Amino acid sequence: MLNKEQLETLLGEAMDSGADFAEIFEEDAVSESLSMLDGKVENVDRALRAGTGIRLYKDLQTAYGYSNSQDFDELLALVKDLRTAFEGHREERISLEEVPVTDISPVKTDPVDAPLETKTALMREAWDAIRDEEEIEKVSVSLSSLRQKVQISNSRGRLVKDTRIRTRMGVSAYARRGEDRQSGFEGPGASMGLEFYEGGVPAQAAKNAAATAKVLLDAVDAPSGRMPVIIDNGFGGVIFHEACGHALEATAVAKDQSVFAGKKGMQIASAKVTAIDDGTIPHAWGSQNVDDEGNPQERRVLIKDGILTQYMVDQFNGRRMQEASSGSGRRQNYKYEPTSRMSNTYIDAGTDDFDEMFEGIEKGLYAKRMGGGSVNPQTGEFNFAVSEGYLIENGKVTSAVKGASLIGSGAEILMNIDRVGKDLKRAQGMCGSVSGSIPTDVGQPPIRVSSITVGGTAGE
Amino acid sequence: MNKQKWLDRALEKGFEAAEIYESSSRSKEITWFEQAMDKMELSQTDSASIRVLDGGSLANTGLEKLDDAIMDEVLDGLRQQAATITSEDRTQFVPPMETELAVKDKQWTVPETAQVKELLADLEARILAYDERIFQVTNLAWSQSEGTRSISNTLGLATGDEDYVQYVMAGAAGRQEDRIQDWYLIKVVPDIAAFDRGAFVKELCDEVLSRLDATSIPGRTCPVILHREAMTSLLGAFAGLFSGDLISKGISPLKDRLGEKIFSDKITIVDDPRNLDALTIANFDDEGYPTGRKLVVDHGVFRTILHNQQSAARMGTESTGNGFKGGYASPVGVSPMNLYIEPGEESLRQLEKRMQDGLVITDLEGLHAGIDFVSTNFSLQARGYLVQGGRRTQSVTLITAAGSFMELMNDVIAVGSDLDWSYRQLAAPSVLFGKLAISGQ
Repeated sequence: MLNKEQLETLLGEAMDSGADFAEIFEEDAVSESLSMLDGKVENVDRALRAGTGIRLYKDLQTAYGYSNSQDFDELLALVKDLRTAFEGHREERISLEEVPVTDISPVKTDPVDAPLETKTALMREAWDAIRDEEEIEKVSVSLSSLRQKVQISNSRGRLVKDTRIRTRMGVSAYARRGEDRQSGFEGPGASMGLEFYEGGVPAQAAKNAAATAKVLLDAVDAPSGRMPVIIDNGFGGVIFHEACGHALEATAVAKDQSVFAGKKGMQIASAKVTAIDDGTIPHAWGSQNVDDEGNPQERRVLIKDGILTQYMVDQFNGRRMQEASSGSGRRQNYKYEPTSRMSNTYIDAGTDDFDEMFEGIEKGLYAKRMGGGSVNPQTGEFNFAVSEGYLIENGKVTSAVKGASLIGSGAEILMNIDRVGKDLKRAQGMCGSVSGSIPTDVGQPPIRVSSITVGGTAGE
Repeated sequence: MNKQKWLDRALEKGFEAAEIYESSSRSKEITWFEQAMDKMELSQTDSASIRVLDGGSLANTGLEKLDDAIMDEVLDGLRQQAATITSEDRTQFVPPMETELAVKDKQWTVPETAQVKELLADLEARILAYDERIFQVTNLAWSQSEGTRSISNTLGLATGDEDYVQYVMAGAAGRQEDRIQDWYLIKVVPDIAAFDRGAFVKELCDEVLSRLDATSIPGRTCPVILHREAMTSLLGAFAGLFSGDLISKGISPLKDRLGEKIFSDKITIVDDPRNLDALTIANFDDEGYPTGRKLVVDHGVFRTILHNQQSAARMGTESTGNGFKGGYASPVGVSPMNLYIEPGEESLRQLEKRMQDGLVITDLEGLHAGIDFVSTNFSLQARGYLVQGGRRTQSVTLITAAGSFMELMNDVIAVGSDLDWSYRQLAAPSVLFGKLAISGQ
């Protein structure tokens, strides 16, 4: 990484352009990925990534450049190229002062440096837990770890250094009965070291993946049409992530490209809904000590009792919105300019009883486990997949169903949430958007949506 | 990075073989928003990955620090990585091989920044002036990128190529009463001076406007045309079915189906990385193996499994030159390149006439989550338009299309003629299917 004097020189050169702000994001990261198929280690891949992203703002314009060069003169040449975006001249001496960072997710066993045999033993725990299960034909396990050191400095004199460490295991179980093949997946992760896997985490993940795959062997085709849907906790929170979360990011709001732009203080969800994006939960998968603009992560109450209270705002989009950053500036790595992104986003626990939610439903869907989804923030139209679902008939859970997805418009669906349960759980995912793929938690207690479109193959 | 030094050092350390893949890219992008430049982005990256064979096992490390000083540390790390592998998979690196090279002779005229700004300002003004219902230009960008890749190994292979592309992208949003719809368009533009701005703006805006009356419809099971955009998305999501890696591992449902009829006899699928109509071509894959044209599915019969070196060794055959990486640091996987469904004779309009009453699906969303590769079931958000009496009527949004890919591909009524390679490495024409389950309002 560059030293303080080099950074001050580059920032000073960057400001000699008419720019009113300059920032340098440096990254030195090691990632490792192991994969195992049926107990045999197939791949052990590593990547040593390092590079620098340099950003200049002038009013509402930005110039962004990145390079993996470690050479000061080449980075200086990049700064000079970026300066051509603006016109102007200013002599400014930048003096950096390091801002101390508190580590909210200290790690005991560095997952990158730990011996490979320790990691393969953890993967084998997952394999061993389900290898002899009937109808489980194949099990694939992955273990990915990352250690990312960053140094973020800017023309306001701020210098921040941080280290992010994460690990995640993915288990895919493949079940077969005759010619019918189904699969299930579970992927727990955390901002932790290998201590995350203590207490049987790999085995439990494997059992959950196998259970989903096997349930689907007995599943009938999913129904279709509008109906009440109960979405269980944990990854069920993907409904809020897609139906609302992305449309509350300044990325969409600042340019008036969100269905929720200009609606602060207004009711956008059922009064039962309080939704939070919290990047400060110790050891959570989507947490950070500081965001990727070097600002402290925050706990943001996005919706309180149905009322829109706060957007997720990064520094640059905050200019257009005339709001301060909420510590939401994130990026996959130095190759992306940061923008506002979610961290750990969830619907807060409510007071409704889980069993009561099923009462009175003549025909509906219980979505026990969810897959991913996507949204168009401009129109609010979203979709997400149900990876394990069950029919609700006359208030009772009956057959498992396969091949269902849920679609809707965010503005409408949030108003249709008529039950919010007590048992809040979060689950891990990767979220893709303009600043790349980043780790985020989704979460919720079980909720009921009074009416949503279910897309299945079985017809009405 | 002194490649030869790394390769020599790997042999000195006793590795059976070593290979270095290098890639470099340079790019420039200018985006525009509300009558001003929004952003200028410049990039320059040089990266590499080194693969070794040690004790029969293959290990891989990606590098952005191209520093000879870390050579021993990286090579010793690779030894540990290889020693951890317990799979019996064996592979070989590619020796130098004779091959005739295809040449894509496209000329690019690189514009000055001022020309780009003038173009973007003009496009924005034209889009906003097109129709009063269009209220925002959501995205507007010109982008240029160039890249090189090279592969060298201790068997004496040393090959490389380069690539270049320039494109214009624009998105627009329209409003009718309280309904908002948007759309975007990307066009490869070899020379700004020859770019037909009017046609581009018309295509974009007409599409946005055509969507404004879109509503959901009641669920039904009916004849469906997957428009080439939607068909390309769906084919891309299931292209892994033909992967030798997934077939040999028993994950693809096409395991043990080679030589069998798997799709309707109206379906022929070709993979041809040298197809000069496609956006880019490759004369060799990311292992350095020469590429070629392969008939993957011939009138419904599964004829060719796609392979890299490792999957080919596992199945006792030769690579098909489909060993491609997802990124410089990724392991070499098996991917199609320039894979397409052979077009038929009928235009989209003729397919609509033939269908008479049904639905044309223009876009499918949520493909990363809404498909199950193992069972080939899918349930996806869709939009498009109704066809009644052979003519386009109402636009449709917020519906789902659900089915099984294998069943659908056996229910083909006709394949359209509208194959389009612009900005694509996988393409399909519009296809008329007998029926598909639609869910909606």
